[in-house]
Amino acid sequence: MKIRLENIVKRFRDNTAVDHFSAEIESGELVTLLGPSGCGKSTMLNMLSGILYPTEGKIYFDEDDVTFVSSEKRGIGLVFQNYALYPHMTVLENICFPLEIKKVPKAERIEKAKKMAELVHVDTMLNRKPGQLSGGQQQRVAIARALVKEPRLLLLDEPLSNLDARLRIEMREEIRRIQLETGVTTIFVTHDQEEAMSISDHIILMKLGVLQQFDKPQYLYDQPANCFVADFLGNPPINKVEAVVKNGKVILADGSDSGVRLEGHDDQKVWLSFRSESVLYEPDSQLKATAIMTSVMGKEKITAFDLAGKEVRGYFDSSLDFERGQEVGIGFKKTGVFVFDYESGERYL
Amino acid sequence: MAKTRSVNNEEAQVNKEPFSFGRLLMYVVLIIGAVIMIFPFYWMITGAFKSKIEVNLMPPTLFPQNPLNFENFIYAFQTAPFGKYFVNSLLALIGCITTCSFTTILAAFAFSRLRFPGRELIFSLLLSLMMVPYEMIIITNYRTIVQWGLHDKIWALILPFMSSIFYTYILKGFFDSVPDSLYQAAKVDGCSDWKYLWRVMVPMAKSSLATIILLNSIATWNSFLWPMIATNSKDVRTLPFGLYAFMTEGGQRNERMMAAATIVVLPMIIIFLFARKYIISGMSRGGIKG
Repeated sequence: MKIRLENIVKRFRDNTAVDHFSAEIESGELVTLLGPSGCGKSTMLNMLSGILYPTEGKIYFDEDDVTFVSSEKRGIGLVFQNYALYPHMTVLENICFPLEIKKVPKAERIEKAKKMAELVHVDTMLNRKPGQLSGGQQQRVAIARALVKEPRLLLLDEPLSNLDARLRIEMREEIRRIQLETGVTTIFVTHDQEEAMSISDHIILMKLGVLQQFDKPQYLYDQPANCFVADFLGNPPINKVEAVVKNGKVILADGSDSGVRLEGHDDQKVWLSFRSESVLYEPDSQLKATAIMTSVMGKEKITAFDLAGKEVRGYFDSSLDFERGQEVGIGFKKTGVFVFDYESGERYL
Repeated sequence: MAKTRSVNNEEAQVNKEPFSFGRLLMYVVLIIGAVIMIFPFYWMITGAFKSKIEVNLMPPTLFPQNPLNFENFIYAFQTAPFGKYFVNSLLALIGCITTCSFTTILAAFAFSRLRFPGRELIFSLLLSLMMVPYEMIIITNYRTIVQWGLHDKIWALILPFMSSIFYTYILKGFFDSVPDSLYQAAKVDGCSDWKYLWRVMVPMAKSSLATIILLNSIATWNSFLWPMIATNSKDVRTLPFGLYAFMTEGGQRNERMMAAATIVVLPMIIIFLFARKYIISGMSRGGIKG
């Protein structure tokens, strides 16, 4: 099902949680709402689920205006951060419950629930209570319960944040597999950029209630719309040094020429941001950085440098060896290097 | 000693706790407490099987000489209409518990989950009513009962106790502890408030409800003041009046008194034994994961 959000505004008293938010989500896609806490992503999800109604704007599911339609009439499945399983019911009863409310005959709902349990791999523990399951298993049951009534839209609210690191990776792959197998349009809320990058068709990145960028994960990484997007995505985080544009050259704080060229923004203060993998070793380069320390990562190593008073990191071939305090000539690749306005974060390059 | 204990602390807890004076003292105090609590019950029950001579024996016998001596029970049943009283007590008990539990569940849910204007104010007002002493309410209750023509009827024993602010308060506390997401999950699936209450909240509150029902049972079963005021005839009076009768009509025959008291107390002990499992699990309950 296609979802269209038109100029959504949500205010709580004086506080604007979501500000003029517009987006179109294609049918069958997994879209992640990503952002730091307090960015309005959960508020957005609650408006999609009908738990909250927007102050302004419209929500369309396909061609239907569902802005003020109550939750149960929207045909959505919802998975909560704390799973929200009914502790007194068995796994099977939990999965059956949405169908029980819909008054589906008992034999049919058990059949459907069992099929769904198979899909999420909990079919061997149907008679257990949620308290007897691990976090990952509880999450699987919660997903099965959300999917059993065949919703048009599946909403997941930080579903992995209560799991440990290893289970998180396993479950996010499971969520993607289940989503691809059922083909259900899915909106996934998270604050973890790695999680978002790894499973989404598209990512919506939000900050303080405002949509920053809505793109494919790789595009978001390669072509950030502004400084915030560049800062938010990527591990290790993007390197960022203060600079000034002079005669089309980006000059660092210590007066050295970065070698990056930018037309039309002379005398403006900017951020020069570059990905760690965009740093090149150029012995003859005018731009010098002082090695601080090196961590070996296997096939490559990551070295921290002092560049014009800021600590930056670069990936290098493991055959290269820099000693602490050594002056190293560096340069940049064509990709993964950006210039942003110092104040507004607007992207110039 | 102290050093090795701190090192092996975890092992020590899993394996046998080493002997310590503190633990011994703890057990001694607990055993003394248990004896103080249990002995009167034991004395009452064994006393009911003793003869007139034996019960006054010095030094007293700890165990009745003839444990199959049911004479006192037979006498007790002949003296006071225990059968009739028992039925009345049971009717009052069932009436109070079913109606009170029902209203308590509904009120607790409304105050905990539903949003309506003045909710907090109304609840505070209800709570403040708990400060009015029972003796004051008795007068107004009595007038109401008389005006409605229910004086000396079994309904007089039930009607004033069909709701309870205190039990509502306890149950609301439990309902408040249930995460909102459970309610939202059910709502998204199209579950009505009514169905959510009975299918999710009430089964989850089983142990709280068991506690409430037990407290309510004991209160109803033991109540004396209100039944004495609201009823006159033997036809509607309850078990505690059976004991009362022994003090006035039957004289102070301790062994008979004990037999009568055993008859009165026994049903409550049975109810407690059944509900015990839930009460303990209600107290040790950890809450919901997440």
